[in-house]
Amino acid sequence: MDVGSALYGTPLFAQSHRVDLTVSTCVIWGLWLIVGFAGLFPGIVAYMVWLERKVAARFQDRIGPNRVGPFGLLQSVADGLKLLVKENIVPRSADQVVHLLAPVLVLVSAFLTLAVVPFAVGLVPIDPPSGLVYLIAVSSISPLGIFLAGWSSHNKYSLLGAMRAVAQLVSYEIPQVLSTIPVVLWAGSLSLVSIFDHQVAYGWNALNPPGFLAFLTFLIASVAEVNRTPFDLPEAESEIVAGYHTEYSGMRFGLFFLAEYLGVFSVSCVATVLFLGGGTPLPFSAFPVNLLDGSVGSYLLVDGILLAVFSLKVLLFVFAMFWVRATLPRMRIDRLMNFAWKYLVPLCILNIVFAAIWYEVVVRPGALTARNWAWGMIAAGLPVVLGVQLVFRANRKLAAARAVDADWPTVGTIAEASR
Amino acid sequence: MANDIPLSWFLYFAAAAFATGLVGVLLRRNAIAVLMAIEIMLNAANVNLVAFWRYGTPAPGAGPLPGVILALLVITVAAAEVAVGIGLILLCYRRWRAVDVDRYETMSG
Amino acid sequence: MGEVVVARILFLAIAALGLLAALGTVLSRNLVHAALHLVGFFFCVACLFVMLEAEFLAAVQVLIYIGAVAILLMFGIMLTRNTRGDDATSLSGPWRLPGLVAGLCLFGALVFGINNAVSPSGASPWAGEAARPSLVEREGEPAWAAERRRAVEDMGRVVGEEFLTRYAMAFELAGLLLTAALVGAVALAHRDEVGAAELPPTVEALPADSAEPVGTAAS
Repeated sequence: MDVGSALYGTPLFAQSHRVDLTVSTCVIWGLWLIVGFAGLFPGIVAYMVWLERKVAARFQDRIGPNRVGPFGLLQSVADGLKLLVKENIVPRSADQVVHLLAPVLVLVSAFLTLAVVPFAVGLVPIDPPSGLVYLIAVSSISPLGIFLAGWSSHNKYSLLGAMRAVAQLVSYEIPQVLSTIPVVLWAGSLSLVSIFDHQVAYGWNALNPPGFLAFLTFLIASVAEVNRTPFDLPEAESEIVAGYHTEYSGMRFGLFFLAEYLGVFSVSCVATVLFLGGGTPLPFSAFPVNLLDGSVGSYLLVDGILLAVFSLKVLLFVFAMFWVRATLPRMRIDRLMNFAWKYLVPLCILNIVFAAIWYEVVVRPGALTARNWAWGMIAAGLPVVLGVQLVFRANRKLAAARAVDADWPTVGTIAEASR
Repeated sequence: MANDIPLSWFLYFAAAAFATGLVGVLLRRNAIAVLMAIEIMLNAANVNLVAFWRYGTPAPGAGPLPGVILALLVITVAAAEVAVGIGLILLCYRRWRAVDVDRYETMSG
Repeated sequence: MGEVVVARILFLAIAALGLLAALGTVLSRNLVHAALHLVGFFFCVACLFVMLEAEFLAAVQVLIYIGAVAILLMFGIMLTRNTRGDDATSLSGPWRLPGLVAGLCLFGALVFGINNAVSPSGASPWAGEAARPSLVEREGEPAWAAERRRAVEDMGRVVGEEFLTRYAMAFELAGLLLTAALVGAVALAHRDEVGAAELPPTVEALPADSAEPVGTAAS
């Protein structure tokens, strides 16, 4: 369980299970706050924005930003400076304090999520024994911030966007949480470091049938959680101007922007840690981790490899999200809710049972063997396929029983209007 | 872990919060505000439960976590209570067009 | 000794903020502000749970109270057609003084109890209780101390074990209660056809006979 701190005795950044208020922990946390949360992560966000614009431009046969710096690399810096010095307009009828508080809440929620992510061995700010619950808890603060943003703006589009956003976030939080249960079941712990250790021993979680299903549902729910296309209804500009941040400008808008991209980054990190084995480059081997021998040199080497692979995986996720954004249109609100409640939630609940089968066949015997693995693939794979079939069939049948879009309020069709 | 905050401090906090909640229930007439005040009272009770769990010695056979388990159950009940409470308030709002608890007087004698 | 002072100052700050937030909930005229103060109170209580070394419970507190209950309350405020959150009802006039007196009396009674009652095992008054049972491993400690140390170190697991063994009945009942609450809330808040007919027309009550909706999925 406590492999992280017990075995690899060179804690550069100590993982402590218990919070003690000694000076050294304060210094370490201060370092993390300054280096990570004030300097590093905003930088990552800035270059994610640049990357997204470049990627989207490629998809649309354009060049993208190329004026500021080589390849437009300084574009994000310029944008950031612009946002900082821009005039900050607050509507007079807005609730001033809440209007300021809302983007801060959203940003804090995105920042705090990163506090338990093990980027490499020993490179994790805190490792509470109930890390995953902590993660879910802090990420559930952001709907509150979004709601307050929409409410305090005193604008109907803001309020509509906020209500949509909160309904969507609350709905998709359920499949997101349920799809992490198999991982917790296999690792036998809520600590993200233990989950990482488990995957070093048993292979990546996404590489078995229930894990793969959980991985997919987690990804879909995460995309919805960070309001990205095709789930960006809260800020659907063709329907409700800009949703909850309609009345935000200047750096306050910048904070929402930062929070959104930081959210993308942090869900990518979490997905990597939970399902893709953190920074391990090979799925079924303890490759870099077994090089640790207690010396500082091996520690640096292993963490270098882990960090590099970790960033590659995160980049992959981030690219996938950009890809989806560049290719898929927005979903309709009722379909969005249907998808969460009628497809994802039943699938996740069924998947917990399948995960239990996998646990019994593969994890409980003690160590990973090829024979157990093959049995597990059959014993858990068939139910997964059947379960997916069942959920989709049942939903088709239910949908066929009622007229198409019978519950969708209409104000006359286009055909009628043009007649 | 020698951080010995006196147990009574937690109890004072809980007592004050509970009294505040009670005042809220008695003074507010908006049904949703009443619900909020009830939540304050439940939370104050939870602080007491966890403080006694941490400072006391467990009764034999109660297991290592009696107070925390009870607090978790209280949280569950509070969540259920809010869900049903909001549903009831919406229903009453539809019927009386008001969220004022004093207006719901059909059953009063 | 320095640590103790830091912890005490931290406690006092958190408790003061929490009480202020509770007062704000009770007194603010705007319901959304009241809910926001309530969130602050929940957060302070979560901090107190951390100070009592129950961080699992703190995470659950944040998850359920801030993530779900507060949001639900906000939805409740909005769904009662009160988008500004202003509380049009007054603080009950004739009840104001009795309410305050009741609150103060309750507080006085509780403080009296805290200062004078002896603990159930007959040991010492709670007011003097300053040292919590140590979590450091020692020779000859009673069995419950080891159990508790394990519980504090890995509370999520021990809570799970307790719920499925010693408190299985309570766990099942809680599940039953949640299911009943879910069904009940849906049944209560569901707007049936008869009820909708009595109300002034809303968006939901518009005729839905036309086959094709206006395109909304513009990209």
